[in-house]
Amino acid sequence: MFDIFKEHKGFGRQIVLLAKNELIKTYKGSAVGPLWAVVKPLFTLFVYWFAFSIGLRGNKVVEVANIHGETIGYPIFIFILVGFVPWCFISDSIIFGARSIRDNRQFVTKVSFPVSTIMSFTVLSKLFVHFLLVGCMYIYVIFTTGGPSIYNIQFIMYCPLMFLFFLVLSWSTAPMSAFSLDFFNIINSIMSGLFWLSSVIYSSYDLEEGWLRVIMLFNPINYFTNGYRNAFLYKRWFWDYPQFPLETLIFVAEFALLFVLGLYNYKRLRKKIADVL
Amino acid sequence: MEEPIISFDNVSKVYTLYKNDRDRMKALFVRPKTAKDHRALSKVSFKINRGESVGIIGDNGAGKSTLLKMITGVSFPTEGTVTVNGKVAALLELTAGFSLEMTGRENIYLKGYILGLKDDFIKTIEEDIVDFAQIGDYIDQPVRTYSSGMKMRLGFAINVNIDPDILVIDEALSVGDAKFKKKCKDKISSIIKEGKTVLYVSHSKESVKEMCPRSIYLKKGELIFDGPTVEALKVYTEQKK
Repeated sequence: MFDIFKEHKGFGRQIVLLAKNELIKTYKGSAVGPLWAVVKPLFTLFVYWFAFSIGLRGNKVVEVANIHGETIGYPIFIFILVGFVPWCFISDSIIFGARSIRDNRQFVTKVSFPVSTIMSFTVLSKLFVHFLLVGCMYIYVIFTTGGPSIYNIQFIMYCPLMFLFFLVLSWSTAPMSAFSLDFFNIINSIMSGLFWLSSVIYSSYDLEEGWLRVIMLFNPINYFTNGYRNAFLYKRWFWDYPQFPLETLIFVAEFALLFVLGLYNYKRLRKKIADVL
Repeated sequence: MEEPIISFDNVSKVYTLYKNDRDRMKALFVRPKTAKDHRALSKVSFKINRGESVGIIGDNGAGKSTLLKMITGVSFPTEGTVTVNGKVAALLELTAGFSLEMTGRENIYLKGYILGLKDDFIKTIEEDIVDFAQIGDYIDQPVRTYSSGMKMRLGFAINVNIDPDILVIDEALSVGDAKFKKKCKDKISSIIKEGKTVLYVSHSKESVKEMCPRSIYLKKGELIFDGPTVEALKVYTEQKK
């Protein structure tokens, strides 16, 4: 059952090396290299900001209730920015995590390789990019919200948790995508829609309908986008949110479920992958 | 009695063939009715002891590759158990498993880690590998910049220098020019002399006879004969008629 942990034993340094290698593969041959990792999301961000703030001539601020029930308006750009940075990681790690085994088939069909580490170094390489983006975001946040704050340290809880959550998700999706390309295509299609169902360009904490707010807690992506906003924008602790117990319960349950499913799916498919790739 | 280094116990390998991609998708959840089975190996049992050189003979599609893949740990049996007690170096597809963006040196470490070697040990063999491969300063360049000959030489150098317990050799192996080929042959001979276990796959009867006292003859996934090479070849020739 715990093949995945056995496979990781003693392979730590190699995973970091392979993650680095993954980045080189992604950005080689381009003049500005790793800068693309920042430029691409920045451009997308600009498009969203343009569409919502100027194109649709909507609100220039997003209204969010604080812990005292008062409404505070945040400029739409910084609001989207702080949700968009974790979204970039989530979206990349879901898509590239799912196709990681397929993309690294030479490790599966040619040599005896600890296959589960493929998911680890792939998602880790996306985490490196994420650090870069968080760095840029943080500079902007510091300059526009009046310096660093103690609430920022929640990042060291949300970020590792996010990494683990989507790594564990790939334990299921990567072997299944390796087995069937259609499965990967399903994931790919879901991802483009999932953006609009997640709390990236709006606040799921502040939807009008109470029952809708509860339903949104089931989308684990919201846990992180809202979490990053707690840490960098709202300046409140994660337990300050009134629905905090329910939110945590749902998240932990989903994490546990994914973990079990991941172990099960990996074990079930591991030995078949080399035959079908 | 010493424990055999490789043991196959009633090993069968069944490949499932799906009619189309929709069935493959379906197979993630239930077994589709249209799926067909292809039996590549059927109840194969044998034991190979430490220090033996064994030839594996048979026509195309007899299951030789499947058998080797299981020994190298790439593929897994459908039924039965395969036990391999040692480091396997496979001289099959030498350039396989390289990470193209990493340098030659980093790939030496990668390969070493895959085989479960420790840093200290890899450090001791690193220079041997670099010397043997004769690729000079290229060792610190990404493998993608290598010529195919250089890749093969590095692959060969890594595999023979990791101090393997089991050496799997495909006869169809070609490693560059005549001079390097000779060097490889000498190295293989010296490994055999050291008393390592060698598995040798070949169509050429002469070279099997030369290298291996014992042979396993496979036909359509079944083990037909296991014993002295001379007799195995006799059975093989007879069955072919």
